[in-house]
Amino acid sequence: MVGLSIGEKYFIQGGIAQDLRTDGRKRLTPRPIFVETGVISQSNGSARVRIGATEVIASVKAELGRPSALHPDKGKVSINVDCSPTAAPMFEGRGGEELSAELSVALQRCLLGGKSGSGAGIDLSSLAIVEGKICWDLYIEGLVVSSDGNLLDALGAAIKAALSNTGIPRVNVAAGASGDEQPEVDVSDEEFLQFDTSKVPVIVTLTKVGRHYIVDATSEEESQMSSAVSISVNRQGNICGLTKRGDAGLDPSVVLDMISVAQSVSERLINTLDSQIAAAEAGEDEL
Amino acid sequence: MSSKETWMRQIRAEIGVVAKADGSAMFEMGNTKVVAAVYGPREVQNRSQQLNANALVRCEYTMANFSTGDRMRKLKGDRRSTEISLVIRQTMEECILTNLMPRSQIDIFVQVVQADGGTLSACINAATLALANAGIPMRDIVTSCSAGYLNSTPLLDLNYIEDSAGGADVTLGIMPKLDKVTLLQMDAKLSLDTFENVMQLAIEGCKAVADYIREILLENTKQLQYRRGT
Repeated sequence: MVGLSIGEKYFIQGGIAQDLRTDGRKRLTPRPIFVETGVISQSNGSARVRIGATEVIASVKAELGRPSALHPDKGKVSINVDCSPTAAPMFEGRGGEELSAELSVALQRCLLGGKSGSGAGIDLSSLAIVEGKICWDLYIEGLVVSSDGNLLDALGAAIKAALSNTGIPRVNVAAGASGDEQPEVDVSDEEFLQFDTSKVPVIVTLTKVGRHYIVDATSEEESQMSSAVSISVNRQGNICGLTKRGDAGLDPSVVLDMISVAQSVSERLINTLDSQIAAAEAGEDEL
Repeated sequence: MSSKETWMRQIRAEIGVVAKADGSAMFEMGNTKVVAAVYGPREVQNRSQQLNANALVRCEYTMANFSTGDRMRKLKGDRRSTEISLVIRQTMEECILTNLMPRSQIDIFVQVVQADGGTLSACINAATLALANAGIPMRDIVTSCSAGYLNSTPLLDLNYIEDSAGGADVTLGIMPKLDKVTLLQMDAKLSLDTFENVMQLAIEGCKAVADYIREILLENTKQLQYRRGT
């Protein structure tokens, strides 16, 4: 990104202080979101999300696997993000690894809950096939194609949309398998079960610039941030995960205030996102 | 020739998909989807590589983890990607008027979103559009198409299944106005006469892609004119 002059920096900070950002938005106004589903025909589910100039693609692939010994009745989900060099020249070669790792971990924290698997936004027990022997492994891959800030929110929305688009093939398990034998499974090519995404949270990032915080920062605004808090909230208004980035310290009362702001913003975001996803799926069915 | 073997897959292209890049394009050939972004001409990042009389052209080819049928744990910088990056770079460098931009750097990044055969061709077509979108001066556009030979029939624009069937696969890149071949790759074996037929078919395919690309660029220019109010 081309560097910002001192005048431009003051302009951005001053605008935010006066509730008038450089693109005319108010502090808590997000950019419009556009969702397209089913963009990768080879995956079980996929979605492409555009927020302003930020564009990300998420893909969900389901493969048969063995559940872990600690949770024999649950499937497994792994989330991985990759930053494409098309988004910024500095992502060339291994340049994007740090950011990719940061985004992957933040998404895992927001969507998959703690180490014990409790409180996950994605219901892992719906992925079990034969307890202790066979389960579905979901591989969620995110790709950042173009970056203009707010990557985490865009990826969260894309993953939610991709999961809504995901069809898990119906599996028929051969009866009569005993003991340690691997049961025979027949994976259907025709019938698919739609994945239940009603509990999947959305991620809202609040970026603190000066003494105020903004929703959905562009990369210019992010360059001026002192800190940012990303909060994942589900439909019930419960908080599913929280990540703070940036060097500056935050007063605890500020963090609590940010959380309540995120909860109200997320309600609107979930409604917008759900209607966009429904429209995208309907549009796809017509084709 | 109007039989089905000589039909190309449906192509679709869009310009300006990566807003922050100087030029970008998305190119689809059937199920193969590729995004190309061009950054430049800009200052050379690594002074030791600077060329005094020409622009430095760099290229990187990356495949998304989900782009192929089996999810692959890809390593960035694996041999195949490096080779393809090199091929794309050499092909595009040939058509860019690098002597007009000395001591500068042009980066071409190509990202494969979905791969279903003909990825190299789609990458070159996308790169051409992205360079044009960036306003980088070129001798001519470069278009590319692949053709193969299966069951004694020349086939145009192979998809992944056809490509893996064991017949030959010829990838061709031409500069249509100048009528020059800039890229020619083939694997497996073909007799010389068959090769000429297959190559001729690929050239027809390239020319069809060139017509489409020119249409897209013309439409884009009309849009720019319209926005300018002329």
